[in-house]
Amino acid sequence: MKKALSIILLVAICLSSTLAITGCRRGEDECAVLYYTYSDTYISSVRAEMDRLLDKGGIAHHNYDAGGNQTTQTEQVDTAITKGASILIVNVVDTGSDDAARTILEKAKQASVPLIFFNRSVSENIIKEYDRCVFVGTDYEEAGRIQGRMIGEYVRDNYSKLDINGDGKISYVLFKGQQGNMEAEARTKYSVEICNSVLAEAGLSPIVFYDSQNRDKYLVDQDGTWSNAAANNYMKTILSGHSESNKNMVELVIANNDEMALGALAALEEVGYNKSGSRHIPVFGVDASEAARAKINSGAMTGTVKQDSAGMAEAIAHIADNMINGRDALSGIDEDMKVGEARVNIPYSAYTGEDE
Amino acid sequence: MGDNVSVNDGIFKKILHPLKKRFDDFRQLEPRDKLKRISALILDNAMLIIIVTAIIVIAILRPRFLSVASVINIISLTAARLPIALGIGGAIVLTGTDISAGRAVGLTACISASLLQSSGYLGKMFPNLSPLPPILVLLIVMLVGAVIGLINGFFVAKFKLHPFIVTLSTQLILFGAVLLYLQIGDNGGQTLSGLDRSYIDFVTAPLFKISGIAVPRYILFALIITALMWVIWNKTVFGKNMFAVGSNEAAATVSGVNVFLTIIGVFVLAGALYGVTGFIEGARIASSASYTGQGYESDAIAACVIGGVSFVGGTGKISGIVIGVLLLQIIFVGLNFLSVDQNMLYIIKGLIILLACAVDMRKYLKKR
Repeated sequence: MKKALSIILLVAICLSSTLAITGCRRGEDECAVLYYTYSDTYISSVRAEMDRLLDKGGIAHHNYDAGGNQTTQTEQVDTAITKGASILIVNVVDTGSDDAARTILEKAKQASVPLIFFNRSVSENIIKEYDRCVFVGTDYEEAGRIQGRMIGEYVRDNYSKLDINGDGKISYVLFKGQQGNMEAEARTKYSVEICNSVLAEAGLSPIVFYDSQNRDKYLVDQDGTWSNAAANNYMKTILSGHSESNKNMVELVIANNDEMALGALAALEEVGYNKSGSRHIPVFGVDASEAARAKINSGAMTGTVKQDSAGMAEAIAHIADNMINGRDALSGIDEDMKVGEARVNIPYSAYTGEDE
Repeated sequence: MGDNVSVNDGIFKKILHPLKKRFDDFRQLEPRDKLKRISALILDNAMLIIIVTAIIVIAILRPRFLSVASVINIISLTAARLPIALGIGGAIVLTGTDISAGRAVGLTACISASLLQSSGYLGKMFPNLSPLPPILVLLIVMLVGAVIGLINGFFVAKFKLHPFIVTLSTQLILFGAVLLYLQIGDNGGQTLSGLDRSYIDFVTAPLFKISGIAVPRYILFALIITALMWVIWNKTVFGKNMFAVGSNEAAATVSGVNVFLTIIGVFVLAGALYGVTGFIEGARIASSASYTGQGYESDAIAACVIGGVSFVGGTGKISGIVIGVLLLQIIFVGLNFLSVDQNMLYIIKGLIILLACAVDMRKYLKKR
């Protein structure tokens, strides 16, 4: 017993010291990339692409995982600066207020390290406070708009098929990723609003939330992690009370991102929907993750909005290279994507599987 | 040896003689036993060896690791995590634990922030409330924390429930409370920010500067709390009772210790310290949301274990907890300095905790 324990301990000691030593490949003056969480599928695809591009460009870099916690990230910024980072590339955790981003910006400014915020929205007022700060993101309202238009057109073209209980209305459920996140708020708002305006143009009645008691008209991931599991749990609960035989089946599923869409889809599949030969409840997401595209191509899911992860990584790596080498931050960036002096928008597009 | 004998006699007896004896004993051992003895020595001091090696290796490879800015950074990170660890330490001495600590920090951080938003800030939770004096808010959240601790302690002491179960329940209840609290007024679940300058300065204003690098005030908070806790643990009847209950509850009862009040006291004290942590977190990060404090207890528990506060109960030192928290920070900042892959960080963290626990238990296995 004691001997076994000793061996385990010795192995652990050796392992952790080798880990520590094999880790030191890169020098100081590296580029520090801070991700809000490693658990986000879309962000992981940006990360993979960014790692590849930075390696290719010979830019030393180190990634940080904030694990969805602003405290961790703010501390990582301190560590990166004291370590001597040449540039900070930050995917900020908390977008519900300006203060988290401002704190990071002030730290960068004080150390006069250039700063790129990306993906998760940082308001323009903040970016303006530091002349070596750039935001690479998307027009955060655009994803919701594109999703809304896509849903509206689909529902318009398939109205009678979708209206399972024949009450002349399409009942929907909406999964919101996070309370207080600007992207989540916009997607929640525009997906329904624009869908309804498309329907109104065609003279059709607007979609209605499946639960008239719910005044929010959405179900939110309480942990704020836009997770598959949260949507899956909600959807299972819904399906236990809503069915075709009860004449109150949910007829449309809208999710703020693909993870949640896939979670809801899994719950539907479990009770026999959305399989080949069975009835399909349309499910819409945002992100165009690998998994969602596969589901769309196989016909189980209906549509998503493609956020161009490769395009985003490319723009960030390019700007980082500019900033490190003292060139104008946005030189060489496509004019169409520039918004003012310090913002680059990566365009979205609808994805329904036809083009691939 | 001649004349030197009398001069060296004292030193020889005190230091050299026992060492020489140990060395002689060692030489007489069989080669197999020698190996055993060496590995035992290494294992007993494993944490220390790893840390010292780590600091030396990191400092050689990345000299900036020991720069003033970096050292202050590590000390600040340690200071921010000390109060919660000192609180949990007490629960562990009682052979328990407290996994509600992180959520208690979250709730108290949100309460602190909401009471100290600057007037006129758009989206203020209590629009008509002008910011209170920070010290008053500190007392309020310490009280809130103490009430949480009282609930935890009561259920542990009264119904003899395992603290893990009690605090698992309160953890969930507190998270619900945080979510509800964030819905108050027009806040609608949003992050609390727009904090009043008086609050931020109260916590983070520079105490003084070392070669241009500011030393934040909460380091002073941590020092005061550590000193207070040292006195409580070592110089008061309550502290002695805590260790007595932790090492043998039945014996403590027989010798007249009020076990019920001691357990409640430990949790109340811990709760008040979570309040302090929440108060510091609110200002330090400047935005408090539902996720604030999530998982803090795991780092605090790990720090205590690394610092020798044993889950067996009845043992632990304040200095050990301070060292534990410091060592965890040194390791994590250091690993980042070495650009160790972030995925590996979680694995290394897990290994270190496992190692620390195993080394700790090994001492007890040996005693038996």
